[in-house]
Amino acid sequence: MIEFTVNGERRELVETSPSMPLLWVLRDHLKLTGTKFGCGMGLCGACTVHLDGVAVRSCQLPVAAVAGHSITTIEGLSATEQHPLQLAWVAEDVPQCGYCQSGQIMSAAALLNTGTAVTDDSIRNAMSGNLCRCGTYGRINKAIKRAATAPKEA
Amino acid sequence: MSFTQVELPRRLFLKQTATVAAGLAIAFYLPSGVAASDPKAPAPAATFEPNAWVRVLPDGTVKLVVHKHDSGTGTQTALAACVAEELDVNPMTVQVITPENPFFDTYIHPVWKVFSTGGSTSVSLEYDRLRMAGATARALLISAAAKQWKVSPDSCTTQEGCVVHSASQRRLGYGELVGVAAHLPAPTHVTLKDPAQFKYIGKLRHKRDAAAKVCGRFKYSIDVVLPDMLVAVIERTPVVGAKVVSVDSAATLQVPGVRKVIAIAGRPDVLGGNQEGVAVLAENYWAAQQGRALLKVQWSDSPLARFDSDELAIAQALALDDTHAQRVSAMKAGDVDAQWPTAAKLLEADYRMPYKVQNPLEPVCITAQVQNDGITYWGGVQVPSSALEAAQTVCNIHKDKVTINEMVSGGSFGAREAKYWLFEVAYLAQQAKVPVKLMNSREAEMRSLFMHPATLHRAKGALDAQGHLTALRLEAVSPASPEQWEPGYFERPDHMDYSTTEAITAWDFAYRPANLDLVWVKHESQVPSGWYRSVSFIPNVFAVESFMDELAHGAGQDPLTFRLAHMQERPRHVAVLKSAAERAGWGQSLPEGTALGIATNQGYTSFIAVVARVSKKDGVARVEKLTCVVDCGLAVSPGGVEEQIYGGLMWGLGHALFDRMDIKQGRVVQSNFHDYRVTRMSDMPAVDILVLDGEPSKPGGVGELGSPSVAPAIANALFSLTGVRQRSTPLTLG
Repeated sequence: MIEFTVNGERRELVETSPSMPLLWVLRDHLKLTGTKFGCGMGLCGACTVHLDGVAVRSCQLPVAAVAGHSITTIEGLSATEQHPLQLAWVAEDVPQCGYCQSGQIMSAAALLNTGTAVTDDSIRNAMSGNLCRCGTYGRINKAIKRAATAPKEA
Repeated sequence: MSFTQVELPRRLFLKQTATVAAGLAIAFYLPSGVAASDPKAPAPAATFEPNAWVRVLPDGTVKLVVHKHDSGTGTQTALAACVAEELDVNPMTVQVITPENPFFDTYIHPVWKVFSTGGSTSVSLEYDRLRMAGATARALLISAAAKQWKVSPDSCTTQEGCVVHSASQRRLGYGELVGVAAHLPAPTHVTLKDPAQFKYIGKLRHKRDAAAKVCGRFKYSIDVVLPDMLVAVIERTPVVGAKVVSVDSAATLQVPGVRKVIAIAGRPDVLGGNQEGVAVLAENYWAAQQGRALLKVQWSDSPLARFDSDELAIAQALALDDTHAQRVSAMKAGDVDAQWPTAAKLLEADYRMPYKVQNPLEPVCITAQVQNDGITYWGGVQVPSSALEAAQTVCNIHKDKVTINEMVSGGSFGAREAKYWLFEVAYLAQQAKVPVKLMNSREAEMRSLFMHPATLHRAKGALDAQGHLTALRLEAVSPASPEQWEPGYFERPDHMDYSTTEAITAWDFAYRPANLDLVWVKHESQVPSGWYRSVSFIPNVFAVESFMDELAHGAGQDPLTFRLAHMQERPRHVAVLKSAAERAGWGQSLPEGTALGIATNQGYTSFIAVVARVSKKDGVARVEKLTCVVDCGLAVSPGGVEEQIYGGLMWGLGHALFDRMDIKQGRVVQSNFHDYRVTRMSDMPAVDILVLDGEPSKPGGVGELGSPSVAPAIANALFSLTGVRQRSTPLTLG
């Protein structure tokens, strides 16, 4: 049995293979489909979630590795769906197809969590592992800056 | 204005489009249950369905139908806005639905005559009739209210979903008028809004569904779950044309969760049909992939097993000298051959671009279920006609029994215009007798074999003593883009394939030397080609705009001045070029080790110019900035136009620096983002986009406008910087 926390809720997996990547556990077993599949090799960032607050690629992470840890997915980023990044993303009209955006936002949230100063350089460093094929990089940059200066979520 | 004629649509369909618009052909919608043989039967009063795009329910709910696929291109916002503007409802809050019947005649593409989305045509070709649809519905609702109030319709107006009679201060919501409006005769004419009164068109800065997309709530094809559904992954032929000799699925079937292994026959009889493959069906994707990894498939030999993309350029060069090659004139004037002997200067150059693959971030995914003589699809279906063809061809299912639950897709860029996956899923759903969700892995997506073809262009130009271009010949060696989709085009009187000759026919080619010979040399490699964002504009513009630059330098002239000197009656083209040059500081002094390059293209009745700024540090060049000016006529959704252009520039940067798919011994070499590089945030230069206030009566297309000029602009800038001319992509920065 593998135990871990997802979005604040304790989960126990009984029959799941320990080698199954976290991505598919989230999507197929826990029905948290906001986290997306893009490449299966940790190269595109669509599957980004937080492991104890740090951005990780869930498609490359065997679920056994998260036993005892805390996972946050896009669904758990904000109980009210009003995280400053989510509001900023809407305000800047970032999503085009939107498929990569869960991963983009989780990477951006991890950047904000670190307390690192939000600059073009730190944004580029934090976000260049997340691919967007539509071309939202410019607006992502703006949205992160907007969120960084927004009041904290109530 | 003079340029209206110049812009006459390149795919020989503008005439039809114009007819459609002039005829108010918004084809009145027949609600389900009303026989087509009885078109005058009144609509049931439950819903007001005056045409193919408007539904008003008695509770006041307004639903607008968007009949074009949205792959992130914003069609669900922009097209809804065209109807909503005239109907006087808010396009951001109104409900938007996809067609109840995707094969209703009115939804057919006005030019291609199939049910499809593509070619940057959704806004530009639907703009007029969508506005008419909204205006017609509004006129009927006004008539219904006027009748009830016994006042003249002219004394009524509308306000956000209500009809208002100001004189008597009465108002009725659209929902309250459904019963009466549904039985009124269709108006013979409607008045469209004065564009000066637009509340939404030309002002949209946001798209629908953003809030759901940032919370992970928005559903894509990959999120579809149905009772008893199996997930299928397919081991497809590694070499085009190879067949399954044997399959050992013993180990696969031992994997927990794996349920079935099904061989899929190739469909070489179908244009664009699927290759052979072996599908593994399992309870979930992870199990299916594990099972697929254990499959032992023996493949037959194939004539393509010796194909090497590096050798293709040699074969393409030979085609230039092959007297039997099919040569199609795209544009011709004077006699170029007569000019070569008297030229003051002759220039010749070959340009090459490699195979490229679309790579939408959501790999192709589709769910289908076959039951009760019918088929139902769930997912992003960009070309309903292909879903129909698959149902008919594979399952012998009648058109009336084909249902599509259409969804926004996670990008397409041409990948979802392929049909192989629809054929595969129809077959698997029929065989499995349960719903089947077909999922491409990234590797499968990259090796799906319907790629953007590699090309060779040979250019020759003659300059006179004054540095004027007197003759230009361009031979574009390429397979036909749409042969697999549009059989028989070669039998058309002009033998023309308009999708392969983009940018080199009379309406898109900007330059007018007295002697001109632009030729498409048809060369098929037997590797299937697929649709790809910006199609043949990419290699054609790369060759034309690189060579114009070479000619300018050969003539000792400024590349901008040289271009302008050879354009005639291209006011919009000239305007974007001048504007982009000015914004980028063209002609001004630049810091040491910095250079600019310029390029331009026209397409989809829109115009663009791009200036690339490059610099060199420690022996490595980098692209610092892309400056771009666009004239797309009316920008229905200015925010949407900007993001489409930004995305196009990003794609162009990819063409310039990264995109390259190799085929060795018939097998695609690259497999995932580690060996097929696509543009990341860290690759993006500064971007400056200006969208001009264009001709306000007509929107042009923008989805595919942005990318083609980028690669030549960068190549031209690199030449200015280094003195070395690069004629093949990806370009080298080292």
